[in-house]
Amino acid sequence: MSRVGGPALVRGPARRRTSVAVLARWWRGGAATLVFLLPMLLVFGLFSWWPIARTVVMSVQDTNLVGPAEWVGLDNFRTVLADPLLPVALRNTAVFAGIAFVVGYPVPLVMAVVFSSLRRLRGLYAGLAYLPVVVPPAVAVLLWKTFYDASPDGVFNTVLGWVGLGPVPWLESASWVLPSLVMEATWAAAGGTVIIYLAALTSVPQELYDAASADGAGVLGKIWHVTLPHLRPVLLITLILQIIGTAQVFLEPYLFTGGGPSHASLTLLLLIYEYAFGSTTGGGAYGPATALSLMMAVGLALLSWAYFRLTRGWSD
Amino acid sequence: MAGEVGGTPTQDTLRSPIALWPNGPDLSILSQAWTELGLSSYLVNTVIIAAGSWAVQVLVATTAGYALSVLRPRLGRVLYGAVLATMFVPIVLLLVPLYLTVLSLPVVHWSLVGTYAGAFLPAGASAFNVVLMKRFFDSLPREILDAARIDGAGPYRLFWSVVLPMSRPVLGVVSVFAVLAAWKDFIWPLIVLPDPAKQPIAVRLPSIAPATDLSVLLAAMAISAALPIVFFLLFQRLFLRSEGLEGAVKG
Amino acid sequence: MRSIRLRTVALTAVAAVAFGSLAACGETSDDGDGVTITVEGWRPGDKQATIDAVKAQAAAFHKDHPDITVKPVEWQWNAQTFPAQLAGGTLPISFRVPFTDTKGLVERGQVADVDAEIRELPYFDKLNPNVLAAAQGTDGKVYGLPSDVYANALHYNRDLFTKAGLDPDKPPTTWEELRAAAKQIHDRTGATGYAEMTTSNTGGWILTTLTYALGGRMETQDGDTFTATVDNPQAEQALQLLHDMRWTDESFSGNTAYDWAGINQAFAAGKVGMFISGSDVYNALVTTSAIDPKTYGLTAVPLGDSADAGVLGGGSVNVVSAKASDAEAEAAVAWADFFRVRKYTDESAAVADAKTQTAADQPVGTPTFPIFDEASYTTYQGWVKDYVNVPLEQMSGYTSRMFDLSLIAEPPAQTQAVYGALDPVVQKVLSDEDADIAALLKDADASVQQILDKG
Repeated sequence: MSRVGGPALVRGPARRRTSVAVLARWWRGGAATLVFLLPMLLVFGLFSWWPIARTVVMSVQDTNLVGPAEWVGLDNFRTVLADPLLPVALRNTAVFAGIAFVVGYPVPLVMAVVFSSLRRLRGLYAGLAYLPVVVPPAVAVLLWKTFYDASPDGVFNTVLGWVGLGPVPWLESASWVLPSLVMEATWAAAGGTVIIYLAALTSVPQELYDAASADGAGVLGKIWHVTLPHLRPVLLITLILQIIGTAQVFLEPYLFTGGGPSHASLTLLLLIYEYAFGSTTGGGAYGPATALSLMMAVGLALLSWAYFRLTRGWSD
Repeated sequence: MAGEVGGTPTQDTLRSPIALWPNGPDLSILSQAWTELGLSSYLVNTVIIAAGSWAVQVLVATTAGYALSVLRPRLGRVLYGAVLATMFVPIVLLLVPLYLTVLSLPVVHWSLVGTYAGAFLPAGASAFNVVLMKRFFDSLPREILDAARIDGAGPYRLFWSVVLPMSRPVLGVVSVFAVLAAWKDFIWPLIVLPDPAKQPIAVRLPSIAPATDLSVLLAAMAISAALPIVFFLLFQRLFLRSEGLEGAVKG
Repeated sequence: MRSIRLRTVALTAVAAVAFGSLAACGETSDDGDGVTITVEGWRPGDKQATIDAVKAQAAAFHKDHPDITVKPVEWQWNAQTFPAQLAGGTLPISFRVPFTDTKGLVERGQVADVDAEIRELPYFDKLNPNVLAAAQGTDGKVYGLPSDVYANALHYNRDLFTKAGLDPDKPPTTWEELRAAAKQIHDRTGATGYAEMTTSNTGGWILTTLTYALGGRMETQDGDTFTATVDNPQAEQALQLLHDMRWTDESFSGNTAYDWAGINQAFAAGKVGMFISGSDVYNALVTTSAIDPKTYGLTAVPLGDSADAGVLGGGSVNVVSAKASDAEAEAAVAWADFFRVRKYTDESAAVADAKTQTAADQPVGTPTFPIFDEASYTTYQGWVKDYVNVPLEQMSGYTSRMFDLSLIAEPPAQTQAVYGALDPVVQKVLSDEDADIAALLKDADASVQQILDKG
């Protein structure tokens, strides 16, 4: 983790050589760097940066995709900012991300730590955790809609009924819908994150555990003093990835509620989708859709920048 | 077809979806799904796309992660920022511009529409992979890299013989995610592969859903979900096995 | 409401888009002696018999019109892929769009103006004007040929009716009867008595159906100015009825987040006593949900006493790609006429079509809504009666009244946006017992007006 010695290959040691050698060495290093960067430059350039640039252009245009586009300046941005649904979507997205942080973020971590401390059948448990990740969303919806059935004989409500609770109107009420969607989303995604953590744990040097044992640490002590500190850089990156991911939550409200009831689960991305392809505004509004996407992207970029600055010292 | 009474598998599924086969397990539905829907050719398509997607994602992620983390070019931070930035733009919005790009690539004007490459190449532009890879390379012990350099390893040998072999766990993670994403991807292959004969299973099944018996469809989905699970179970031994994992409980 | 079903990814929808090889995509050629067009042929998942039949039709059409070559391809309307295909020029020349989405495409100039071509068709004057309205822009021009038209109707579960002590041969004919039947079903069987779709614009779609049935309208037109009339007494009455069924009778029990496919599944599973959807929904209930035909009943949506009361209908419009040349547009209209409409005016075409459907194991005879007059419809029914394989006698509540129903076109401007604005209203009434219906409608009215003003 600590960068002892630093990366000297490209620039550092060249200073003390003769100018011809400097040039040769620079050329060799620079060319190699270029070779390694090339796949990324090509693939990102063609399939990400270039389309994004076109999107940026679309945000200041009005186009029906048939005839020539018309320049409208910042009109699309004004349209979006004046949309009364924007604050609603913003709030819902923030609430979703918040609940997902509190409830959803620790789940895969706990699972990974527990799995990693298992002597046997670890692979099996990891496989089980991974199972929901491969379930096609269409099947997941069918399954979870029966869990969330609002009638007393829905699956969850039946279980709650045994202990005298419920029935809970899972997807049917404005206050329950977001927590319900977070629960499903966590189920669907946790397995993937578990795998990241498990992979990161493979590189914990055995000596650290041995040293901790020598100091008399128990299982919990070793987790606290060895496992978690070792995971810290990964945890920091999965946290920001989760924040970005949940800020762009789309599939759950789209598949389960269409944003309802009464916009209670309308998220930013669902709003963007509705502008471009959907119904609330009649669709076809590519300009406002791109404008909102850009504003959202800038917001997330600022957030990430602040996050990385804040946590810079913590990950090393 | 609809003449049978009550207890058809579809009716079972609809009435009590979590009670597995209340009318008794009916494995014939699996073979019915396999033959009736012609799953084999869609699975072949899926495997081709998943393999291509895996190759391009691993290539881009490892080379980019290596360049950004180890070689550190002058504009490295800018490039890394540009990669990160792509994460903030919702994919759903890129459909139209991406399609136009793939329909006629800049400069060369080739069209990738209707080709497997058109379906899997864009997957290579995954910021998530690059971030993951770079982070992992960042955490490799610099002493080892420096020692290799002192031994005369150039950037290529350092990559191939030192960095890659040390990266098994993260390569495993990226591979699993790459294959899985390709397996599940729906809307992009749908647009770029208009010919049903080339479509992967995750595109084909939802497309035919409105014209297909639900129980047959679910059986087909079960088949399509089973393969990545098997893949995962086989593959995880390669990257989840290590001494470190045992550490917490060894005493 | 195909559009709505298509929007719900998952099990239900989203279509594939296929037009043979890449080279054939949308590309056409005027090679001296004729024009070649790609057209929507069959939908994903269609059986080989259907595909073969379409190809045979294309060959027959070529015989009739030697200067036109038709290449049918697999295609289905999908709001998500449409923009990309439109921008990329890879749409078929002739394709169908649901009524609800046609207006939006017309307003954005995304389909071709084929007014002259359509008006030249021999039966143009015989087309039901309310059906034709779906294909017209706010400028009055015709942008396509309507086909596959249906009226919304009440679907009910005969089995639950019997269990609840109701006569399955006497489905409700007034809203009071419907409410009482719903309560009786729920009280005696525990099933949901009556349910409605509420998500992905279906909530607005069905609320508009109820409002029309009670005599109200969602928009009025004066020249090319449209005024929102969402806040009308009939809509309020409809919502109050829903509210009472949900909260007083508790007959609209359990789930409320239904979309097109979701409610079909719940109904086919015997969980719902009654619901409203297109008169042809039986086809989907059979092909995807394996409904037991014996339990199925179809009747007309109860109408209020108002002279304006009528049923909301839906269907598809055969439109032409905005990028088509004049010759291609003309060929596309000729094909749509030949392929989609002729079977209602030509015996051999009717019989051939019915045979194909039977061969492909598809339901034949499910009631649609006649786009011509009663006489042409009866004649058509006579041609295909030997092939009918749906329980028509259980649908007589609808078919016996079909010609008395006045079909009312969907809100003419910004159809989807109107529905979209109404979804949350319906959802609120169903999720909040204390919802203020009058205030909700007032707000929705204002937001629809805003959308209409923007144009």
